Amino acid sequence: MTITAPLTTLDSDGIRALLPHSWPFLYLDRVLELEPGESATGLKNVTVAEPHFAGHFPRTSVMPGVLIVEACAQLVGVVLLSRDDPESRDRALLASIDKFRFRAIVRPGDQLVLAVERQASFSGVHNFRAFARVDGNVVAEGRLSVAA
Amino acid sequence: MDLETLKMAAKERQGLCDAIKRMIVDRLDLPIDPDWITDDQPLFGRGLELDSVDTLELMLGLEADFDLALTDDDRAAFGSVGTLAARILEERGSIVDAVVG
Repeated sequence: MTITAPLTTLDSDGIRALLPHSWPFLYLDRVLELEPGESATGLKNVTVAEPHFAGHFPRTSVMPGVLIVEACAQLVGVVLLSRDDPESRDRALLASIDKFRFRAIVRPGDQLVLAVERQASFSGVHNFRAFARVDGNVVAEGRLSVAA
Repeated sequence: MDLETLKMAAKERQGLCDAIKRMIVDRLDLPIDPDWITDDQPLFGRGLELDSVDTLELMLGLEADFDLALTDDDRAAFGSVGTLAARILEERGSIVDAVVG
């Protein structure tokens, strides 16, 4: 028998209610699917109005790879902070970034589709596999650990 | 249990310990020779000084290479290479566990 866990969606207001981040450092616009404690998919719409494009780079806009990692980490934060667990802290902090690869340039106008899935947990630290896609193609992938 | 069985069991256990050491050094990118790790050396604290992020990496390695899925409740298994080997053999239902475990 398969038990299907409830999947939840969140808009940007719901995300801000869950995460401590705000502009200009919130890199998550919508959560499409959420299984608290386990996995999620989310959207990040990339726009030229974001402040980092002023310097990265002055004549060619490229979303910094570290900010794609940050977007994935924020989605992991949503997964962990949405748990119905009295022991879970109200803050999730990055503990490691492992084996990330950046496979394509992400530019204004692109829609990043992020997917994170928990692989293992130990002593309050959780390891997640993460994928970022644009138009179905993987533009970044790797693993990260978050303490929460 | 005869002597040959005991010898085979000990050999299986040693081979497993060696494989675990290679996995630890490989997964954690440790700048040491796998042979430098002893079977009963503590993995945490004053032993190899691993932290919780390292442990997560080992959990993934144990699952991928040894088909052993551990959870937060299995902390005792992470005591040393020897305790990890004992746990793997226990899961396999090996005869060695009855001898050494």
